[in-house]
Amino acid sequence: MAELGFAGGGRTASDTAVAGPAETPLVALIGPPNSGKTTLFNQLTGLRQKVANYPGVTVEKKVGEVALPNGAEVDLVDLPGVHGFSARTLDERITRDVLEGRVEGIRAPDALVLIVDSTRLEAQLMLVEPVLDLELPTLLVLNMCDELEARGGRVDDGPLEERWGVKVVRTSASAGIGIEAVRDFLTGVGVAVLSAPQPERTVSNVPGGVALPMVAAFTARRVRVREVVQNAGYQQPSPSKLTERLDHVFLHRLWGPLVFSVVVLLVFKSIFAWAVPVMDGVDFLVGASGDWLAASLPDTWFRSLLVDGVWAGVGSVVIFLPQILILFLFLGILEDSGYMARAAVIADRMMYRVGLQGRAFLPLLSGYACAVPAILAARTVSDERDRLATIFVTPFMTCSARLPVYALLIAAFIPAEPLLGPILDMQVATLLGLYGLGIVAAIGTAFLLKRTLLKAEPTSFLMELPPYRIPSPRSIALRLLDRSHIFLRRVGKVIFTVAIVLWTLTQFPRTDLGAPQIEESALARMGHVIEPVIEPLGFNWKIGVGLVTSLAAREVIVGTLGTIYGVEKADEEALQLQDAIKRDLSPGAAVGLLVFFAFALQCMSTVAVMRRETAGWKWPALQFAYMLMLAYVGAFIAYRIF
Amino acid sequence: MDTPVRLSTISANAPHGATVELRLGQVPMHQAVELVSVDLPADQAEPLFERGILPGCRICPIRSSPSGDPIVEIDGALLALRKETAECLCVRLINQFQDAD
Repeated sequence: MAELGFAGGGRTASDTAVAGPAETPLVALIGPPNSGKTTLFNQLTGLRQKVANYPGVTVEKKVGEVALPNGAEVDLVDLPGVHGFSARTLDERITRDVLEGRVEGIRAPDALVLIVDSTRLEAQLMLVEPVLDLELPTLLVLNMCDELEARGGRVDDGPLEERWGVKVVRTSASAGIGIEAVRDFLTGVGVAVLSAPQPERTVSNVPGGVALPMVAAFTARRVRVREVVQNAGYQQPSPSKLTERLDHVFLHRLWGPLVFSVVVLLVFKSIFAWAVPVMDGVDFLVGASGDWLAASLPDTWFRSLLVDGVWAGVGSVVIFLPQILILFLFLGILEDSGYMARAAVIADRMMYRVGLQGRAFLPLLSGYACAVPAILAARTVSDERDRLATIFVTPFMTCSARLPVYALLIAAFIPAEPLLGPILDMQVATLLGLYGLGIVAAIGTAFLLKRTLLKAEPTSFLMELPPYRIPSPRSIALRLLDRSHIFLRRVGKVIFTVAIVLWTLTQFPRTDLGAPQIEESALARMGHVIEPVIEPLGFNWKIGVGLVTSLAAREVIVGTLGTIYGVEKADEEALQLQDAIKRDLSPGAAVGLLVFFAFALQCMSTVAVMRRETAGWKWPALQFAYMLMLAYVGAFIAYRIF
Repeated sequence: MDTPVRLSTISANAPHGATVELRLGQVPMHQAVELVSVDLPADQAEPLFERGILPGCRICPIRSSPSGDPIVEIDGALLALRKETAECLCVRLINQFQDAD
């Protein structure tokens, strides 16, 4: 980097202000879905990745630094997989905007790496022409070449290079073959790019613009591609025997749905049973470190803020990390192995009946961990109305943030009496009932939406079924790391702020003795203001404050109640908190509160991500109001019944 | 390959009249066919086109999903469709022994 810096050192700052060529060169990685983009990205960048968050657009695009043999660096951006640039899906729109340099915070790329799956070369190369139209230095990567050869296929690079005027390299990204050749190309880009700003570009999906009708234009492109591929002596590989055998089971009329159910149950089981020991461990660490902090600091307002406010608040969220990581581990394995595509096919009919489509299955399943990544995952849903319906109902899935609330209330109010056999007692049944409630609400809402606001002709559903592959542990590990960063940063920030604000409100107005009694605090006065609204549900002002603070994130109510009750440990398992809340809520109101949390959209992160994903406040506002209404009515009914 | 095999048809609203013999949904398993036309609105047809599913290409149904939706092979790739979509793809049989491509 230092050498390059000197090479370009002759320019003044004002020269570089507009296009910023003194910055590291930027290369975009594009290709169809499942062509191995992210695997190549991980191979090239390793841990040198940062998740870039660009304002205005939806994004969580990944940028990574590639260290080059000559000591220089190139930034690589991993774009969503696309088949074309028609901008029909959100992913396509993002890709197009980045390529045209229309995304704030990221400049137009200086060069492109187009990666395709060489076992499906013909169809994949349909993307070449629109990419070449960008007139950027381009590298064509024929990925999965080992698989192509193993299955008896072959292709020559020469004719491809000649016809399209691009450099071609063969790789097997998962096996780490051919990565150096890609690095060499990036080195060339690094040297060449320290020059004038790039001209503006536009991408068009349909060749020749409006000159030809769409079918004719595509057919013409297709004929050209076929010609090139035939000149390159492309021999299509024979079908994968393993894939055939596995599909025979996984897509079997009887076994298919059975395996599907087992997989879903396994994912569930993992969230609950397997994550719990790890969560207990994290919980213990947070508690112990808080105690240590309290013991080693002098008894001042600062200690109170740090330990009672920040540490308890942030700690209550950190304990969900293991759960989220385990879920993403499963989802990663399912996706990378190729099973997720089959699961989507199996789920499609069911989803279609309620007005969604098979691709919605992955987001909805992810919703059990956290709605935020789930809503982002819905970008692959091809139809815009289907995508809106999917992300609208996703927050009804019982996310892990509801668990501490459920755990506290169920432990306090529901007796652990056996109901059916030794496993299913009243408490477990209540928990399952709350999960069921979420599913019913999601299905009902999707059904309603697709018959009203999002009414549309049934759309087509297309799903490529990639060959089964063994997932790369490295790729999955990197993804988990990525998830941890995002989770800790996003949620950490919110909880941190809420904890400080809440703590401050309990400290004023000051009395002669210092902090006021909780009933006299500014927080209590605010709580009394909202009391009339929640009184019909059997909630008092303390619960009210909890409901307000949990607007930030659901689990915050547990920490809030802990603070309010003046209990030292605001831990959901602490007995004191359970006893305290029992004095304040009738059993009916407690069931009402559970129902309230099953429905209400108490999560700022979800609202924020909805606003970004729908480019406006209309959908998040509607969603928030709708879910609040359901929650209020539901809680009212539950309070009257129980 | 130029003489389509005539089978029972539902070619009533097919754009190419007599040359269209079948819908993809009616094709038996492992019978390779050639796509003749796509009877779908543009926004639904474009994703097919982008994946190389264009008039003239060879499609072979190889499996059906548990719900009875077709899974076809095209250019060595597997693609799952809905029955409803398959009903909109007009195809004609091609002789497997003198496969065009």
